[in-house]
Amino acid sequence: MTPTLAGAATNLITVDIADIRVSKDPASVIVTYALGSCVAVIVHDPIRRIGGMIHYMLPLAQTAPDKARGNPAMFADTGIPVLFRSVYELGCRKEDLVVKVAGGGSLYDDKGTFEIGRRNYVVLRKMFWKTGVMIAAEDVGGSKSRTVRLNVGTGQVVVRSQGEETEL
Amino acid sequence: MIAKETILQRVQALPALSTAVAELASLRDDPLATALAYERVIRPDPALSTNFLRLANSAHFGTRHEIKTVRAALALLGTKRLYEVVVGAALHGVLPERLPGYEVDLPGFWRHCAAVAALSERLSTELRVGAPDFVFTAGLLHDIGKLVIGSFLAAESAEVLARVRGSEKTFIDAEHEVLGWDHSEIGAEVARAWRLPEAVVDTARWHHSPSECPTANRTLVDMVHVADGLAHSLGMGADTGELARRIEVPAMQRLHVTARTLERIACDSLANIKDLCHSLEGNAGRTS
Repeated sequence: MTPTLAGAATNLITVDIADIRVSKDPASVIVTYALGSCVAVIVHDPIRRIGGMIHYMLPLAQTAPDKARGNPAMFADTGIPVLFRSVYELGCRKEDLVVKVAGGGSLYDDKGTFEIGRRNYVVLRKMFWKTGVMIAAEDVGGSKSRTVRLNVGTGQVVVRSQGEETEL
Repeated sequence: MIAKETILQRVQALPALSTAVAELASLRDDPLATALAYERVIRPDPALSTNFLRLANSAHFGTRHEIKTVRAALALLGTKRLYEVVVGAALHGVLPERLPGYEVDLPGFWRHCAAVAALSERLSTELRVGAPDFVFTAGLLHDIGKLVIGSFLAAESAEVLARVRGSEKTFIDAEHEVLGWDHSEIGAEVARAWRLPEAVVDTARWHHSPSECPTANRTLVDMVHVADGLAHSLGMGADTGELARRIEVPAMQRLHVTARTLERIACDSLANIKDLCHSLEGNAGRTS
């Protein structure tokens, strides 16, 4: 398989689970692997060519406030604000940001016991509704795992899942 | 449908687990075994010794002092932990750099094993069912059947993945359709061939259908079943069919476990899982 985004980009930045990365290097690609029920929020400023990504694991920090203090990126409610602040610190403005979302999958689950993916997504939507953030594109839900790449130079976002790649 | 003899031949063709594992199991049953006896089992195998010391020092096992010898490991970890560490080191030693089938490499497979082991153990503490013997080990080895399918049945495993994708089929059902076998049945054969404890055999065999487990190990199997689902849900799967599975509601009910409990367990275990992975990364080489 030839990665669609390889091109001239040489600087591959990996976002681990419960992690945030931002970059102002247009030659960089930010990638996160194996989003199951976890969610990736991808932000990109096409004017300044700056990008960022969070891979959060759970919806609410109240599950483990002590962990949230050590690593806010573990949760949607503590991590997403950190992602936005991080790109603002690099000079981005909210109105310029293109925001995309991927992940939030789930196991086959009739009883909703393992509803982490759905809850991860619901919390995100509530936060974005309150703060007036528009989602430009998303690929969420279903019973599949996803790998997401952001080309910081072009803003192109590619989701790879079950052997196929699609542009978001 | 693949004949049983063929499957058993493939099981035999897997690299053998270090004999240290079986020898340690019998040492554990011997209250008079000395530290020297443990050293004699582990030290002759240099690769095992190296992995053993790396793993013994990972945060999951929580020792404050660096462990530099088998003797120190025995003193600081105790015989139960020592066995778990040796099994982990031995398993890592037989994992191939890349499985031709199931699109998985060594770091990915190990991550899944380590995640399920750590989550199973954390779950058993949380539920206060008393950590059954071998909970970490059983979690670690639950998917060994996939080694056979991924190593020797690459074409078939590609067909399994194709059937899972875009359907409502579970992974285990797709394996049955294609092979006439699934990795839990094959895993039990591997566990027997490797002379692992009955608890490990039962977990490999029933971790996708814990309610069918006929033995006293069912609570253990229930926990590994749930931990396995949680690991896949968190993106720590061992194959690309990760989410195509069901969690048995009766298993959740028997354990009285809630979604919130699982989320907390995930938070608590994440750092340890990462460390279990990093501790052995030096001689693995990341390919993902």
